[in-house]
Amino acid sequence: MAKDAEKSTWKDFIWNSRTREFCGRTGSSWGLILLFYLVFYIFLAGMFCLTMYVMLQTLDDYKPTWQDRLGTPGMMIRPRGKAMEISYNTTNTETWDMYIKTLDNFLSPYNNSLQAEKNEECTPDQYFVQADSGDVKNNPKRSCQFNRTLLEKCSGLDDHTYGYQAGKPCIIIKLNRVIGMLPGKDGQAPFVTCGAKRYKVGKDEWKEDSDKIGQVEYYPENGTFNLMYYPYYGKKAQVNYSQPLVAIKFLNITLNEDINIECRIISNNIPPGSVRDKFAGKVSFKLRINTKG
Amino acid sequence: MGDKDGKSSPSKKNKKGKDMDELKKEVPITEHKMSIEECCRKFNTDIVQGLTNAKAAEFLIRDGPNCLTPPPTTPEWIKFCRQLFGGFSILLWTGAILCFLAYAIQAATEDEPAGDNLYLGIVLSVVVVVTGCFSYFQEAKSSKIMESFKNMVPQQALVIREGEKMTINAEEVVAGDLVEVKGGDRIPADLRVVSAHGCKVDNSSLTGESEPQSRSPDCTHDNPLETRNVAFFSTNCVEGTARGIVVCTGDRTVMGRIATLTSGLESGKTPIAKEIEHFIHLITGVAVFLGITFFILAVCLGYTWLEAVIFLIGIIVANVPEGLLATVTVCLTLTAKRMAKKNCLVKNLEAVETLGSTSTICSDKTGTLTQNRMTVAHMWFDNQIHEADTTEDQSGASFDKTSASWAALARVAALCNRAVFKAGQDQLPILKRDTAGDASESALLKCIELSCGSVKQIREKNKKVAEIPFNSTNKYQLSVHETEDPNDNRYLLVMKGAPERILDRCTTIIIQGKEQPMDEEMKESFQNAYMELGGLGERVLGFCHLLMPEDQYPKGFAFDCDDVNFTTEGLCFVGLMSMIDPPRAAVPDAVGKCRSAGIKVIMVTGDHPITAKAIAKGVGIISEGNETVEDIASRLNIPVSQVNPRDAKACVIHGTDLKELSQDQMDDILRNHTEIVFARTSPQQKLIIVEGCQRLGAIVAVTGDGVNDSPALKKADIGVAMGISGSDVSKQAADMILLDDNFASIVTGVEEGRLIFDNLKKSIAYTLTSNIPEITPFLLFIIVNIPLPLGTITILCIDLGTDMVPAISLAYEAAESDIMKRQPRNPTRDKLVNERLISIAYGQIGMIQALGGFFSYFVILAENGFLPSILVGIRLNWDDRACNDLEDSYGQQWTYEQRKIVEFTCHTAFFVSIVVVQWADVIVCKTRRNSVFQQGMKNKILIFGLFEETALAAFLSYTPGMDVALRMFPLKPSWWFCAVPYSVLIFVYDEIRKLLIRRNPGGWVERETYY
Repeated sequence: MAKDAEKSTWKDFIWNSRTREFCGRTGSSWGLILLFYLVFYIFLAGMFCLTMYVMLQTLDDYKPTWQDRLGTPGMMIRPRGKAMEISYNTTNTETWDMYIKTLDNFLSPYNNSLQAEKNEECTPDQYFVQADSGDVKNNPKRSCQFNRTLLEKCSGLDDHTYGYQAGKPCIIIKLNRVIGMLPGKDGQAPFVTCGAKRYKVGKDEWKEDSDKIGQVEYYPENGTFNLMYYPYYGKKAQVNYSQPLVAIKFLNITLNEDINIECRIISNNIPPGSVRDKFAGKVSFKLRINTKG
Repeated sequence: MGDKDGKSSPSKKNKKGKDMDELKKEVPITEHKMSIEECCRKFNTDIVQGLTNAKAAEFLIRDGPNCLTPPPTTPEWIKFCRQLFGGFSILLWTGAILCFLAYAIQAATEDEPAGDNLYLGIVLSVVVVVTGCFSYFQEAKSSKIMESFKNMVPQQALVIREGEKMTINAEEVVAGDLVEVKGGDRIPADLRVVSAHGCKVDNSSLTGESEPQSRSPDCTHDNPLETRNVAFFSTNCVEGTARGIVVCTGDRTVMGRIATLTSGLESGKTPIAKEIEHFIHLITGVAVFLGITFFILAVCLGYTWLEAVIFLIGIIVANVPEGLLATVTVCLTLTAKRMAKKNCLVKNLEAVETLGSTSTICSDKTGTLTQNRMTVAHMWFDNQIHEADTTEDQSGASFDKTSASWAALARVAALCNRAVFKAGQDQLPILKRDTAGDASESALLKCIELSCGSVKQIREKNKKVAEIPFNSTNKYQLSVHETEDPNDNRYLLVMKGAPERILDRCTTIIIQGKEQPMDEEMKESFQNAYMELGGLGERVLGFCHLLMPEDQYPKGFAFDCDDVNFTTEGLCFVGLMSMIDPPRAAVPDAVGKCRSAGIKVIMVTGDHPITAKAIAKGVGIISEGNETVEDIASRLNIPVSQVNPRDAKACVIHGTDLKELSQDQMDDILRNHTEIVFARTSPQQKLIIVEGCQRLGAIVAVTGDGVNDSPALKKADIGVAMGISGSDVSKQAADMILLDDNFASIVTGVEEGRLIFDNLKKSIAYTLTSNIPEITPFLLFIIVNIPLPLGTITILCIDLGTDMVPAISLAYEAAESDIMKRQPRNPTRDKLVNERLISIAYGQIGMIQALGGFFSYFVILAENGFLPSILVGIRLNWDDRACNDLEDSYGQQWTYEQRKIVEFTCHTAFFVSIVVVQWADVIVCKTRRNSVFQQGMKNKILIFGLFEETALAAFLSYTPGMDVALRMFPLKPSWWFCAVPYSVLIFVYDEIRKLLIRRNPGGWVERETYY
């Protein structure tokens, strides 16, 4: 008995034909409440848009309001590999083909012809400052050429495999763009240096692969980022900015083994990054070159 | 009897239900109808020698000790588990289990599972356990106070075995034992009286009768409860001595049956527990609906099944208000504390609210509504009724004490009186002093002591020469005294007793101190006064005296009381005095308040209908001008049967009539009469009355102090026992104890209960609101792939941190209107949490809050370089640890850690924004109808809460180390103000809403948004 009554009330709740109620409300009641919510939400959306609009008006088009989180620029490599791991087999083309493609794509804007067309030659070893005069913006800002040929053996022009086939791979390193950043003072340009990374193998047990890295070559020479590429003025003001690169080439790295490598930027004007951030002012990756089938 | 029980006991467990019905029936004692010899045969005992020791030992083994089986106490760990897994906790446990499940799925499928779900699960479990412990200790504290009530003194009994009198522990008394009791003893078992000398017992705890009952060997009534030859276990012998055969011991006694009935009764869920259940249903409904919707959406958006399941769990868990359990518990505890301060001790935390929902109070009379102390209420002398002061503090009106008749009456009352004050009480007020003696004599004693000074001195001046104590055949008591005047050698004879018997012995009457002959006119006015006082439910005594002529009774006359050798006729009538157990001073006012609060007050008493009705009229349970059927009949001079019962709002129902009523008739009476008095009811009938009220949908409170009330106390939605006069059994059965025995404290309870119900609504509305700004970030994270705007840790910081104090502070909010002037809530309609509350909290205020939070989120991202336009769909790269050169709107590149710091700063800002909008919300939630400007900001705790939550937010944001501990980062000062416009909007919006509710009562806004 009781169960039947419950069932019918449940059904009645969904659709009560007697009072023509759906879920406890008549059509007009549903209409009113939905209309109310529609109007209410439109009003809220309007208010939200208004506040957002006001907020966006306060922003500068060329420079973000805050940059305090970018004190130490990050570093990154190309190719990125999978989760910062580059491993391939020299005998198997398919395993490294994608790295070549990535590098080709990445370097194509640096072709000398393109650079010559879009950018200009600047005076090396000094900042290329293009200040605005007061409110009058000095836009668009010009950019300096970074020619692909500067990467020499790693430019991929002579060796289309960037040394991957030969087991002497090139890795390209770049410093994250930060608007207005001046990476060196007193005319000293920052440079990249790579070495073995200390890594944990157990509790309080550390290991490093310094003896396995072998000889490393840097392009441009010494792995410097020339000061003329700084400061960066943002993508709106400096449309054709060419981010300077450093390529490293491993000449005789130990094969068939995981090698942990860490590259850091050495500069007298970049503060050391936070301990927690593994990519602030440094970049680490794993390299493994297999030769056996 | 014992034999029967012994045989039936194995089947007891199988038929527990039947057993309960059996217990609900009336007492099956039959021994009172047997002759003494039959009785002795039945129990193999001897009327002189008693049982043999061997027999007694045998019976003791057969029947077990003569004590009540204590109610099966719930083991402590079960009580604890009940706190852990009851009601609201279930929701949190489910949430916690879901969290662990989600974490397990993540751990099984991902290399580096996010710990969020694990932490959340742990925190949820901790919250439940901590709150569970808290309420467990709260209730343990109350039960400790309970324990202290227990009377641990072992009772002794005087039995006759093998012809020898011996004192044994009452527990060792067996059926068939011959027992002797005397005044002041507690009766050790149910006795069939075989001989008695002026024995009177106080049955008030069993039957509710306020007057002591005399006991004698004769069977006077078929009903064992009314017959004079049975004395009941655990009642008290007030005076005299009696000897009886034990007929029942332990649980088989009348008292034992009631106790067993009580402990066997299941009391239902408290109203607040039902409300919380309803609330859980609603919340779960919303959570599951949201979860499923977004589960489907997530699958459609191309997430894998596993991801979608984790989202589903995440959304369901996000709907759980983590802090609410703690908030509700603390709110109830605060109210319980406040009530304890006002002398209402609440045993069960949930019962705090029950009185507020109460729509019917069934009150016992004796000891609850009345003082449980006979007091002289009226006097008749000089052909006039005088009113005595019956108030507890002697604040009432006094009468003319100058009349010589009064002096005479007082002298008779003082001399013809065996009651005395117990020693060592000179410091106490007279009314508070203990007396030795009969209740009505004590009443006279106190009355005279109050108005004429020391009775002791009067008695010393008038030395007693002879005395005939009261007996039921004479119906009078007399004594002979010397006079005060040493030169007057006459003796003074004083007599008191049943007024008509006294009148018969009188030939004269004192009027204004002068003796006049008793004429017919005088007799008629005496009759009128007697009728009037009797009609007030009072016990009337007549007084007369005689100065004995010196010639017949010279000094030294040997008065023989056994063979009366002096005149007891031709006396001089002095006056009448009538006594009643008067109502407590605060009761009429309290009843009036209950009435105006829409609560029906029903009197349920074991006492006589006339007394019950008189007290009911006195305290306003039958209000002035309302008549019963009988009143109408006597006014119109027609038979009772011709009166339309609908015309009478009040009614007095006798227990014997109640027995014959069908359930429908009973419902009819309860429904159609607003003012009901049940008299001469048995404990079982009290239970039936309570069940009747509950059947009609009422939430019933029962007040009582006696054992006879305890089944009803247990069955009631809330049983209220008396702390001072209450019996242990009644206190065990009750949910609440009035420590000062004052019925008026119930009004406090009702008020506090209603207030906490309103305030819990506000508190829940406040707490639920922040659920929306907590869920929506996760939803948008899934749907439009933006960086997560609010993380689990920050959600917990809100729910268990900043929201707590403001939510609790709402429990201190003053009532918006006079809550004692409105009807009790309708449990089917007025829910704690209803759809409108959800609609307001989730659909309206919550949405505004969410926008406020999102606004600060967008502000921070935009000011750091990530404009809203690039955020949509950025999530995959954003959360990719290997992507350390993510480009923002300005062309800058970010490492994973750098942008995560920005994200966590966003969480912090979102959190701070919720705090900011919750400022407005807590102010808005202060009232449901009134404007805040009408209500004022007098709630100091709330103001403290506002500062506290702000300080806590600032602390969490700015304390060094928080970036590592809770991943919260310092905010730029300007980011605190992002949500302020939304805070203002909430305030303005809700004030307008409430304005509309006040302007158009019953209008659309009220119907849709008044929670």
